[in-house]
Amino acid sequence: MKSISLYEEKGSLLNKMAPESKILYIVVALLLPVIMGSKWVSVGFIVFSACLLLISKVLRKTVPILSISGFVLLTVVIIQGIFRAGNVTPVLTVGPVSFYEEGLYFALGIVINVLNILLSFCVLILTAKPSDIVENFVRKGFSSRFGYVFISVFQIIPQMTETMSTITDAQRSRGMETEGNLLVRIKAFIPLISPVVMSSLINTKERALALEVRGFNAKNKKTFLNDEKKCGADRYVQLGMLILLAAGIVWRIAGWK
Amino acid sequence: MEMSMGHSGKNINEYRTLMQIKDLHFSYTEGEEILKGLNFAIDERTTAIIGQNGAGKTTFVKLLKGLLRPTEGAVEFDGKDIRDITVAQLARHIGMVFQNPNDQIFKNRVLDEVMFGPLKIGMGEAAAREKSLEALELVGLSGHEDKNPYDLGLSSRKLVAIASIVAMDPKVIIFDEPTIAQDYYGKERIKSVIRKLRSEGVTVITIIHDMDFVADVFERVIVFAKGGVLLDGSAKEVFADETILKEAYLEQPNVTRLCQSLGYEEVFLNAGEFVAYQREKQNLITN
Amino acid sequence: MEMSTKHPKIIVENLKYKYLATDFLALDGISFSVEQGEFIGIIGKNDSGKSTLCQAIAGLVPNFYKGAYGGRILIDELEVKNVDLDELCKKVGIVFQNPFNQVTGSKLTVYEEIAFGLENLGIERQEMIHRIDEAMELLDIMKYKDREPFDLSGGQMQRMAIAGIIAMQPEVIVLDEPTSQLDPQGREEVYQAVQKLSKKGITIFMVEHNVEKIASYSDRVLLLDGGKLIDFDTPQRIFSREDLDTYGVEPPAFTKICRELNLKNAETGCYPVTLEEAYDLLSKEKRGM
Repeated sequence: MKSISLYEEKGSLLNKMAPESKILYIVVALLLPVIMGSKWVSVGFIVFSACLLLISKVLRKTVPILSISGFVLLTVVIIQGIFRAGNVTPVLTVGPVSFYEEGLYFALGIVINVLNILLSFCVLILTAKPSDIVENFVRKGFSSRFGYVFISVFQIIPQMTETMSTITDAQRSRGMETEGNLLVRIKAFIPLISPVVMSSLINTKERALALEVRGFNAKNKKTFLNDEKKCGADRYVQLGMLILLAAGIVWRIAGWK
Repeated sequence: MEMSMGHSGKNINEYRTLMQIKDLHFSYTEGEEILKGLNFAIDERTTAIIGQNGAGKTTFVKLLKGLLRPTEGAVEFDGKDIRDITVAQLARHIGMVFQNPNDQIFKNRVLDEVMFGPLKIGMGEAAAREKSLEALELVGLSGHEDKNPYDLGLSSRKLVAIASIVAMDPKVIIFDEPTIAQDYYGKERIKSVIRKLRSEGVTVITIIHDMDFVADVFERVIVFAKGGVLLDGSAKEVFADETILKEAYLEQPNVTRLCQSLGYEEVFLNAGEFVAYQREKQNLITN
Repeated sequence: MEMSTKHPKIIVENLKYKYLATDFLALDGISFSVEQGEFIGIIGKNDSGKSTLCQAIAGLVPNFYKGAYGGRILIDELEVKNVDLDELCKKVGIVFQNPFNQVTGSKLTVYEEIAFGLENLGIERQEMIHRIDEAMELLDIMKYKDREPFDLSGGQMQRMAIAGIIAMQPEVIVLDEPTSQLDPQGREEVYQAVQKLSKKGITIFMVEHNVEKIASYSDRVLLLDGGKLIDFDTPQRIFSREDLDTYGVEPPAFTKICRELNLKNAETGCYPVTLEEAYDLLSKEKRGM
């Protein structure tokens, strides 16, 4: 049973840095292009994110993520390229269909935005352990219960999937078809979902007990086994990000004059 | 295989064969074989499959039930490869009682829960009701038809799960760890259910860790280890072999262990057998 | 029962309890006392009150499961019902049946998993590491320290759960059928570990259906039925009771044999309960024949 986290320890600089720095990076990478109103800023961040992922030795892990979204993006390009209202300038004609410049530009904008969002989030989730992210927030005063819920989802969901498949097997063993058309699947819903809900309730109660007897509700200040995830560079990186953001805002305001 | 056939006291042909396991291989991921070429027949005898966790027992019974497909080889029922039958169709011939009754119970009335399977495999309403009432009687739950299964204790809920499989009238029933969370009464009840099923001609197979329970009710024992069969024979033959059991990280039944340490040549599986033997011996002496 | 001069570790006085959703007493006037370091087995049929008693000792009854509570449980003069669970867990630990449901799900390694309780209690880091190392050594799971918690086998996972409790350094540990879902090897691993804890002076309560195990590990056995305490005595005396099966409990196979053959231990006047005891008697008998 594996956790569904995508994180992998590679000993890179990004692995050592505080998750907050990376979260701040995401904020800047998404806000700055909007503030400055230029797609080129996004392109810059895409290239920069890719470089960060490359030096952290996790660029390869973005391939499955990009290929899933790549499929969606391709349909966006095709649909906007051919059908977007306001298409007037054909650039490419394949048989009976033509792609138009306006639609393609619009689609390109979407592609750039999506890539920027995906890659900057990858910088965080591929290099930071989910528990480190949560622990750092708990250290800063966030509720540890909330943190627990967030973090346990990564491991409890695979557990529930396992339960679900046992229950499916149990009902198939009693002659219930679970594969086939929509009607078959709808009929299978109740026999599958009732035991799942029941067993989740039981498991949740038992887990709550187990947490309770390990001081989960203790009112004293928590301590942590692991050191806080941070390194010397964090201060400068976070400061740099804020300066960059401020500079963008100043540039924008100055540009209006 | 030849080895283990040689072991069994009776000629294997005396038992009616129900299923054939032919060169059965299985792996979830390539290169990591869980089952490494099994060859044997399932006959009418009550059969316990024992082995450490990870020995491949659960995978094996899932293959018997058609819930998994072999990567190589075949499981045959009645001379036909079960690959050609859907799981739902196979359900009328081979039943399986899962470890945890909560994994299957979803109706709020015991009788409805038991009738679900029979109706699914195409029995008529009347026949399904009749079979279900019979099955509830077999497990000792007559009179509880209208109760909510969740108002029953876990022991009784397990019996509801057993009844819901028995009612489907299969030729083979597989029990996955039937004694877990059962107290003495519960275990005795399940023993009697297994004996009744055997007398009615149903083949009972189990995967189980409780050796004393096996020694009490099962005729044939198959020891699994590392995806293969280490030993296959009558309960007496298998439980006599302390070395093989150790190799498979298993224990002998308590009485077998006691009598072996006392130096008896004979193999005793439970207290009753040993006491009867001792009494007979005393009688010989006093006469 | 012998009178002891030592002060008892745990005193249970006329304990009564009724869950909110039911209309019968799950515990009905239970009284007994236990010395420090004793290994106490708890037996009885399903719904006889075994789990409820465990939860009462660990304070979950009535501080997690609300209901009607009467009588009291004292651990070193501390009244269990009046102590918050996060305070009581430093004194009493409890281990449950299902090892999966005791994994927190919030930690990626076995080592971190064991730290969970200590982090909550605010134990200082150096001390934390010291305690985790000690608990892992004791349960022989150091070799799995970097594994994912859910990746362990049942027996390993259950030992991890016990280590998580041990690290909090309780003086009493309650185990509610901790081995019923394990294979023979896993069960043996857990028993070996618990015996080590017992030898260290930790008081153990163990619920178990396997009477052979209870007979060979327990100092004394609590026999419950219908929420009442039927008997509290040595395994030899408990399992020699002629009326045992009316309480839904069978004696160990060794006891059954000796009872049928009418072989009692001359000193105690009881039937043997372990393989070793039965061996002694039966081998004498065999030689005599």
